[in-house]
Amino acid sequence: MSATAHSLDFQFPLLDRKAGVSPAISGGRDARPPLEREDLARLRATLAGTAAAKMTNGAELIRALDKARREESIPTTLAPFDALLGGGLPRGKMVELTGRRGAGRFSIVMAALAAATSMGEAAVLIDLGDHLDPWSAEAAGVDLRRVLWIRPQTLKQAVMSTEMITATGFQLVVLDTGTHPMRGRRVPDASWVRLGRSAEAHGAAMLVSTPYPLTGTASEAVVTAGRSRMKWLGRGKSPHVLAGVTLELTLEKHRHRKPGEHTSLSLELLP
Amino acid sequence: MTTTRIACLYVTMFPLAARLRSEPELLSEAVAIVEGNGSAAHVVAATRRARTKGIRPGLTLAQARSLVPKLIARGRDVECERTAQEALLEVAESFSPRVEDAGDGIVFIDVSGMERHFASEKDLGEAAIRDAADIGLPARFGLAASKLAARVAAELPKSPTIVEPGGEAEFLAPLPLARLTPELDAASTLQRWGITSIGELARLPESELAARLGELGRELHYAARGIDPRPLIPRALPPEFREGMELEWPLVALEPFLFIASAALDRLSKRMEIQGFACKRLELTMTLEPDGYHARAIDLPAPTRDTKTMLTLLRLDLEKTPPGAPVIGFTIVAHPDRPRRAQLSLFGPAALSPEKLATTIARLVSMLGDDRVGMPMAVDTHIPDRYAIGTFAPPPPPDLRRGPRKSRGLLAARIFRPPVAVEVITRPSRENEPGEFQIASIQGEGDIAGDVRTSAGPWQLTAEWWNPSPVDREYWDVELMKGKSYRVYREETPEGWYVDAGYD
Repeated sequence: MSATAHSLDFQFPLLDRKAGVSPAISGGRDARPPLEREDLARLRATLAGTAAAKMTNGAELIRALDKARREESIPTTLAPFDALLGGGLPRGKMVELTGRRGAGRFSIVMAALAAATSMGEAAVLIDLGDHLDPWSAEAAGVDLRRVLWIRPQTLKQAVMSTEMITATGFQLVVLDTGTHPMRGRRVPDASWVRLGRSAEAHGAAMLVSTPYPLTGTASEAVVTAGRSRMKWLGRGKSPHVLAGVTLELTLEKHRHRKPGEHTSLSLELLP
Repeated sequence: MTTTRIACLYVTMFPLAARLRSEPELLSEAVAIVEGNGSAAHVVAATRRARTKGIRPGLTLAQARSLVPKLIARGRDVECERTAQEALLEVAESFSPRVEDAGDGIVFIDVSGMERHFASEKDLGEAAIRDAADIGLPARFGLAASKLAARVAAELPKSPTIVEPGGEAEFLAPLPLARLTPELDAASTLQRWGITSIGELARLPESELAARLGELGRELHYAARGIDPRPLIPRALPPEFREGMELEWPLVALEPFLFIASAALDRLSKRMEIQGFACKRLELTMTLEPDGYHARAIDLPAPTRDTKTMLTLLRLDLEKTPPGAPVIGFTIVAHPDRPRRAQLSLFGPAALSPEKLATTIARLVSMLGDDRVGMPMAVDTHIPDRYAIGTFAPPPPPDLRRGPRKSRGLLAARIFRPPVAVEVITRPSRENEPGEFQIASIQGEGDIAGDVRTSAGPWQLTAEWWNPSPVDREYWDVELMKGKSYRVYREETPEGWYVDAGYD
């Protein structure tokens, strides 16, 4: 980003502090299309007054935009899950979601993919267990055109693929290691530290969904999906229909929040 | 009106330069390029180290060996020379689209009107020499108003040589006649007349020269005055890029072959970069010993110039289907395509760099296989778990950031590929239960086993009745006592029951 910023320096005239003019794309305020004007105004509104005053050229503007973007989260729009993490999956951080088979991990993964792609972000799913059903993903709201599906065969391949693809600039990287037992042998702990650093370096929100804890100290937060309760419709002689599930989520670890918080999440089955 | 300016790129000792481009490690050795076989083999070019020891073009190989016993002799490699010429043409094309291929390390470039792009014509010449050196060819540069004068200027050791417009005759005058045309039939006649320089020839009366030497005399007189009526004939752009070489000895192992192929791919990559292309398809043809060829084609998932990626794909392909005989030569053809471009947005979501994405996808494909990376696609069928993989080419992100659409909060199913065969125990339905029977327990691998708390079904699915083996299944949803829930189906097969998904 910094290289781009430097190369764009010449496109932005210096701020005329005496005249009290706001930072402007070259050509003057009137020459700017409404799109840029609106966003600049919005950006200035999001920045603290002192920070906005310091913004004197295009490079700083781009850096400020990048910084502001990195401080955002990608919400999964599953309110209880987002509340546990303080707003969603933080960009530049790795979040681990653990839980046994049937604990609802894959549903949260789908919700995260749906939310990110609906925002126009490109997302990648590293699917170690080869579990994705494109039809139901589409039904869940995932824009499949913006999803890169990688199906490694071992955990080592999965971690290598995750590291490679994170460096490409995807804003949401989801690694689902499938169900227990995982395919392939365990990978060194240092691999997870490297993944965490890679996410930080490229500003990607990384979600690692595993049947048991793997990432250790490398993750920003660990959420455990616990006991689930299935919801059935129909009683007696009338046909039974599986309607959904209620999950228990627990915040096991968070670098900036008090752990131990519990919440429940209801999911419905597509009829 | 712009004055015609023609530049000439000239590679001295072209057969040697082409060989050294393919085998740069020989640069510091005493190497001679020979032509002909057996006792007729004679030296056509030699490296500086060999020349300092007395090796000259025209010596027989035996004579050369008597001077330098450890002389490395290499035959002329047509493939190397052809690819080197191609590479030189591509360098020329990076300066002007009007380029003529004069063969054997000579390329003419029409640089008329390019004075605005370079501070001076000398700068242009230095840039061309630098670019040729980047692809491993030591080129000289000459610039004049005609092809002839440009070639003569390029042949001079001091490079770049610029001949001012209208100064061609003056430039040529002091030079020896051999510079005009090395294979001059009338050289001995002119020598008898006492004519040694081009200027002396130019001073002779044209009609008298034509009367004595015929049409050749007239042409020579024109040339000596710096007049070259031949126009520049631009060549058409090649539809593909080609690199290859003939090997001195047959290769039987993969690693040494990949070592040489890597250098060839590197050269291809640089050539494509000059033209602004990336490789979409690679074709490898290997010449086998004692005879025959082995050809293969590799389609890249996305246009790329990354040598490492192309080499990995080549390695995987060769490991899968080895040629089956020693390799004595190879040609790699790269089919070019425009690399994907994208305008990155300041205010919208971060867009992916198409070049970087293409390279990463190609590397992932080389590691995992081509059916394991791509865009997931739903297939138009009622049968669950059917899918297709497409090329990942995401639409451009929106210009402005937008909020996420609210999730539907749906329970997702993990598909098991292939479905897990299970043993199912059923029991008759009780009075307060629907249907004729209920699933009592399932026994499968791992966690897919246990008593069933609740089951729901059957849901009938019949599809593809037009096929010889249509799909006819009965689906059930079951929740085990342990809390896990699965999608189970029964089919008319020996195994009977399968679990094809788990709710998660």
